[in-house]
Amino acid sequence: MDSLSINATALIAVPLVGAVLLALLPVSRALAGYLATLVSLAVAGAVAGLVYRFDIGGGEQFATDEAWVADLGIRFHVGIDGLSLAMVAMTALVMACAVGYAAWEGGARTRAYYALLLLLESALLLLFTAQDLIMFYVGFEAMLIPLYFLIGVWGGARRTQATLKFIVYTFVGTLLMLVGMIALALDQEGPITFDIDALSGSTSEWIFATFLVAFAIKSPIWPFHGWLPDAYRQSPPEVAAVLSGLASKAGAYGLLRLVLPIFPEPVAEYRDILLVLAMIGLLYGSLLAFRQPDSRGVIAYSSIGQMGLITLGIFVLNDRGASGAAFQMVNHALLSASLFLLAGWVATQTGSDLFVRLGGLARGRPILATIVLVVGVATLAVPGSSTFASEFLILLGAFEYEVWAGVLASTAIVLAAMYMLRWISALLHDRVGGAVEAGEPPDLVPSGGLLTIVPLVLAVLALSFYPFGVTDRIDADTSRLAEPAAEAAAR
Amino acid sequence: MIETPNLQWSALAPDLVLLGGAGLLLLVAVLLGGRTQRDVAVFIGLGCFIGSAATAIAIWDFGGGDWLVASEQLRVDRFGNGMRVIVAGAGVLTLLVAYGWDRMETRAAEFVALLLLAAVGMDLLAVANSFVSLFVALELFSITLYAMCAFDLTSRFSLESSLKYLVLGSVGSAVLLYGAAFLYGATGSFRFDEIAAALGDGAADDRLALAGTAMVLAGLAFKISAVPFHQWTPDVYDGAPTPVTGFMAAATKAVAFAVLLRVLLQALPAQADQWQPALATLAILSLIFGNVVALAQTNVKRMLAYSSIGHAGYLLTAVVAGSELGSSALLFYLAVYTAMTIGSFAAVAAREREIGGPVTLDTLRGWGFERPYLAGVMALSLLSLAGFPLTGGFLAKLVVWQAAVDADYTYLAVVGVVATAISLGYYLRIGFALFDRRDGAEPTPSVRRASGYPMVLAAGALSVVVILWLGLYPTDAIDWARDAARPFALGR
Repeated sequence: MDSLSINATALIAVPLVGAVLLALLPVSRALAGYLATLVSLAVAGAVAGLVYRFDIGGGEQFATDEAWVADLGIRFHVGIDGLSLAMVAMTALVMACAVGYAAWEGGARTRAYYALLLLLESALLLLFTAQDLIMFYVGFEAMLIPLYFLIGVWGGARRTQATLKFIVYTFVGTLLMLVGMIALALDQEGPITFDIDALSGSTSEWIFATFLVAFAIKSPIWPFHGWLPDAYRQSPPEVAAVLSGLASKAGAYGLLRLVLPIFPEPVAEYRDILLVLAMIGLLYGSLLAFRQPDSRGVIAYSSIGQMGLITLGIFVLNDRGASGAAFQMVNHALLSASLFLLAGWVATQTGSDLFVRLGGLARGRPILATIVLVVGVATLAVPGSSTFASEFLILLGAFEYEVWAGVLASTAIVLAAMYMLRWISALLHDRVGGAVEAGEPPDLVPSGGLLTIVPLVLAVLALSFYPFGVTDRIDADTSRLAEPAAEAAAR
Repeated sequence: MIETPNLQWSALAPDLVLLGGAGLLLLVAVLLGGRTQRDVAVFIGLGCFIGSAATAIAIWDFGGGDWLVASEQLRVDRFGNGMRVIVAGAGVLTLLVAYGWDRMETRAAEFVALLLLAAVGMDLLAVANSFVSLFVALELFSITLYAMCAFDLTSRFSLESSLKYLVLGSVGSAVLLYGAAFLYGATGSFRFDEIAAALGDGAADDRLALAGTAMVLAGLAFKISAVPFHQWTPDVYDGAPTPVTGFMAAATKAVAFAVLLRVLLQALPAQADQWQPALATLAILSLIFGNVVALAQTNVKRMLAYSSIGHAGYLLTAVVAGSELGSSALLFYLAVYTAMTIGSFAAVAAREREIGGPVTLDTLRGWGFERPYLAGVMALSLLSLAGFPLTGGFLAKLVVWQAAVDADYTYLAVVGVVATAISLGYYLRIGFALFDRRDGAEPTPSVRRASGYPMVLAAGALSVVVILWLGLYPTDAIDWARDAARPFALGR
């Protein structure tokens, strides 16, 4: 094999090295922003190469497997299979846009800020490529270090409480999972190992509970969402985009990658409870999204709803549900990131995020109006969009399980239409709001910030035309991951 | 003719280097003055510590890695040598932190000499193989530390802290000594291996042995500041000069744990059924109490003092496990703990010099923008203390909990998780304060330029290197810890 070829390790290392260099080199803030954007673009380019070279059906590829703490059975094992590939690709794309947006907005963002963003990207890539439990854990928790500073230092007025709540919630849930991981590894026959594929199934309910709670908090699944509204509102826009687009997917990814194959029997046993929680989250988030007074509130609560739909797809325990959930993760990542960046961009132009002060933005701003409309309509899963494809798969899976599950899940599309249409009209139409009148004048060719959203929108459009681009690559993995639990449930 | 013990000098080489340095420094104190004295003293001190660590590594395998010397009074094994390296590392960092302290401009040589002597006592404690050598070594470094605590003669708090430490420390030592006497009564020996043999074959008097074990445990619990034997810790840590506090928090705690492990596993393995539940209780109390009370502190030094009480709980968890895994976890944890503790105290020391008063959350507010590198060191040390991945603190917790789960003490790991959750409340608050761009309000002004800033920064950078090294590439360190901890396991 060509020694220069890019593998998963290189992918993780590039942003990490970039972060360290940015933290140490004395460059100006503006230059730091450009450099960080370049680094994230380089990662995106590398990922594009991997997507091209990826052998569909070839299992885990581009892997590295080295002893890390040999004594304890911990290995630095990263690799990319179809599901990881989809996650990695969405991470690289969303991060490149988020960093680009940060560089455009500038303001109080210092070199350290960009370094932390790149560190965050590195942690996410580690998480999505990890093939060893401890590596997964390291990625999962290492995310919190940059997020602690990004929200705690550069966040909005109530950043301290928001960060504290977010970090304590997630850190505690995950630490319990660490104890669960240790117990799981020690329970295995033979020499101690944390390798995900080598782990045999476990029937221990308390270990299952530690994993479930950790991922339920991160996703979040109702009723573990208490940290979310504050964290999403107080973060800088691009950090909120990463939180809702990527970090939340870490939870759902954990459910799919670890919980289903490792705990088939407990999952099967508690399936109905989990499905009910997912549906409550779906309804609760969607209804609250409809009542929010600001863009960010709408997006934050709609994220709870969408994550409810994704967990529902995971826990119906069949091929269609799992595949739809994974595809929906990609779609939601692209769309919620676009939404948060849009909300941030509108707030910088008008100085407000409240609907009462916004409205009438469509007048004289055709490009903005087009983007808002495309993103909004895709989010509400209009037929023909990629979201429609993924939600349809989840619905098929739900109906395949039980009719009541399918019927309730179908309300998701209706509810999403309600809150997204309200959002679109509150921004674009209605009477012209005070903040819009006082803000920047209409501009046919808007400033660069809006351009950073365009790649995300284009990706959504591309997936709408060709959803098989994702589903072909993930299907083998999602059905493999869902199979043990499905079999346990059938018994 | 009096028979003199046959001394294996090479086994003592790491300590002799330090002792020689201390003697030399007393000459320096007479011959040189002022800043020259400081520079020379610090240079000699650094040289001695590095030399001590190097010789400890050089004799790593001597005597088969488990060498009874000085009439079997000392056991120079890999574990002891590992502790010597940790003590030397703490010494190097402490010297760098202390460099800019104003007392160093007048009395540097004496301070460094005391520091070296304390390190000699700690080194001997780590290799003690009998209660006699244990007590002599313990008093050697304790008395030295009483003097170091009082080194800031103009400060009421410094003197108060020294007095408190003296009184309470002596009580602890006395209880320990009394317990050793009981154990002697039960077994007829002060030597750990002979005590273990006597207790193991059931020849000993059970009641005497139980009383002795309990008192030895209580005495050592004072030294490791486990709840409820912790009362001296906050006042002493707060009042003592910050470089001394850092040294105490790191090195004293490390060797106290080393000797605890040695006594329990080499002298009292037969009593495991008695001390394991007792220590598990102490661990839980320390974890919860230390971290909860730390939440209420605003003075950063007191906060770190309570945090160190909390960390005694994690370390006790590793001791309770009583396995090779637990003992290696203890050694690894102590190495990380030394770096992250001194890393955080280094930043406190620098800030203290700038504002000429106690460092509180308020006086730290916004300091991160004034001194980004030092604040970064502090933030990383705190994240490591809290156990975030990529730092050594994470792996330290991981190995400790792995040992606990492996030894069927899963509940200690779960309490540890709860304690860690509580600890976030104050570790993160310090971080918020450091990087708080309080809109409009001015940060506490620096009344004077921090002297010795580059040296403090060097100490911080060294700690960061250790924290990241142990966090990112732990393979070698874990292997060494495993190698050193091999004999420390209950035969089960």
